[in-house]
Amino acid sequence: MSTLAVGSFARQADFAEALARARRTGRSVEGRWSPFPTGGADDTPSGGIGIGIAAVGALAGIAGAGLFYLLEWWTAVIAYPFNAGGRALHSWPAFLVAPVEIGALSAGAAGLVAFLVRGRLTRLHHPAFAIEALERASCDRFVLALRCAPGADARVALALLAGAGAVETRLVTP
Amino acid sequence: MSVQADRWLLPSAQDYAAVTETVCAPLMDRGPKRSWWLAFGLSLALSAMGAFAIGWSFVEGPGLWGNNSAVVWGFPIANYVWWIGIGNAGTLISSLLLITRQRWRASINRFAEAMTLFAVSMAGIFPILHLGRPMYFYWMAPYPATMGIWPQSRSALVWDFWAIVCYLLFSILFFYVGLVPDLATLRDRPGKLGWRRFYGVLALGWQGSARQWRAHEQTHRMMAVIAVPLVCSVHSIVGLDFAASLMPGWTESIFPPYFVVGALFSGFAMVVLIAASLRRAMSLESVLRPAHFDAMAKVLLAAALVMGLSYATEWFTGWWSGEPAELRLLQQTFDGPYTWLYLLMLACNVLSPQLFWWPAMRTNMKALVGVSLAVLIGMWFERMLILLNTLSFGYEPSFWRLYAPTAVDFMILFGTLGMFALLMLVFSRLFPVVSIYETREVAHEAREAHAA
Repeated sequence: MSTLAVGSFARQADFAEALARARRTGRSVEGRWSPFPTGGADDTPSGGIGIGIAAVGALAGIAGAGLFYLLEWWTAVIAYPFNAGGRALHSWPAFLVAPVEIGALSAGAAGLVAFLVRGRLTRLHHPAFAIEALERASCDRFVLALRCAPGADARVALALLAGAGAVETRLVTP
Repeated sequence: MSVQADRWLLPSAQDYAAVTETVCAPLMDRGPKRSWWLAFGLSLALSAMGAFAIGWSFVEGPGLWGNNSAVVWGFPIANYVWWIGIGNAGTLISSLLLITRQRWRASINRFAEAMTLFAVSMAGIFPILHLGRPMYFYWMAPYPATMGIWPQSRSALVWDFWAIVCYLLFSILFFYVGLVPDLATLRDRPGKLGWRRFYGVLALGWQGSARQWRAHEQTHRMMAVIAVPLVCSVHSIVGLDFAASLMPGWTESIFPPYFVVGALFSGFAMVVLIAASLRRAMSLESVLRPAHFDAMAKVLLAAALVMGLSYATEWFTGWWSGEPAELRLLQQTFDGPYTWLYLLMLACNVLSPQLFWWPAMRTNMKALVGVSLAVLIGMWFERMLILLNTLSFGYEPSFWRLYAPTAVDFMILFGTLGMFALLMLVFSRLFPVVSIYETREVAHEAREAHAA
């Protein structure tokens, strides 16, 4: 059964140093948490796979706008052809207004869904919440969790974290 | 270097925990101040008055208002344009500053976005009221009615419907995505279990992992990129309500951009006013710095210059057209019954912000509040005068008629001001008015700058 060596850092520079050391020594990073975005690649195994959130938004926006334009055309030309001062039934310049708005809303809504899926959100009871140190990751601590084997390997992992400047280290068994 | 680093955040707040405390303490740890209760009571009373006037208008109809056979668009449409203008600014400010990576947005974007939500909600009341038969407002939505009638997408009324609905919903999404990490902060702080659960549910299980931050950044930035053209399109559509008509003074291609700048102008004035109030009431002096007000005052000054140019362009094109109705309108503007209002509007919108050429005035709270109030009043006059001058003096002189608002018009206007203030007051007690995680980033940069 694997164990997690968890280190809390007060400074981002120490946190980045610990991460760099872990990567240099080939240690598996279980997760890292921070009170603001710190950049860098995602450490989770399936991170970065699939199309980007912006692409999802763009596709949804184009689809929403296109479908709404079709609806406008169908209602004005087929379902309810109404002579408004002799203007063309298919008044495309006037029909562009609403699809622009609908397209933006569709893109935003799709972006939110993609954010929830990509961020694995709406999981109110995630195992990570069992790590006590994590509570302060939403306030003032940078937290790094390294996978290690119990015993000597765990001690090495803890020493790595402490050596990089962790203010608190502990072993957690998930 | 240190002066630059402290520009957006006082050294006492350049600590991650201190940022959290500064923003969260007024929410959870302290009870509301007496001034908050006073403001709450006043806005509640105004809201009740507005609700009564709206209810009365539903029962009796638009005959209660000052609208007449010539000036068919009175207070309701002017209020609508004014409120939606204010509502445009919050999301525009937030998204523009996010795209351009302006760190100082951290202190103002959250309450500016909230301002958008509440102002657009107020704006949405007026077109429904003005329909005359408000119970049928849903006819503007395309649904398969048994009568086989569908909305006319060639109508500006339908454009307005989609502009307001889409913009309001999009702004809610944009606001919420930005709020999620801060909701997690509130969830994890010591406090009453009930509140922690409330914030916990809203935080959706946010942990602040690298994966989540990456998704959050991508989504937030993508939404900001969409928000900028969306905001411009929404107020352009409001401008097209006028420009797509055939009335003297309205059929001008400058209207959409002129309306967008006007929206930014009045919205920034409201942001300055709210920022000054929150700074004082919630002791946010360490995160809402004079530099923020200086930057906002510069925007107000620039917008005032553009507004002045827009007014001059309107006069010039009216005169240059040679069209008798346009010339008559121009003559009525400067020598007619509404001229004093027009001059007051010019003084508020173009002259008063000139005070900000003096750097000291840009950080003087009294000057900032005074000019912002003047701009908000001036912009309301502007919205009103666009209607009054054109509709009172249209093509046919025998149809000319002046406009006089009624008490109910004022009750509804001040009622919506009360509702807006009420929503802002409740928001300021429930949610962080300053973006905590973004302010932490500012704190981090300031610390790095100090260390360098």
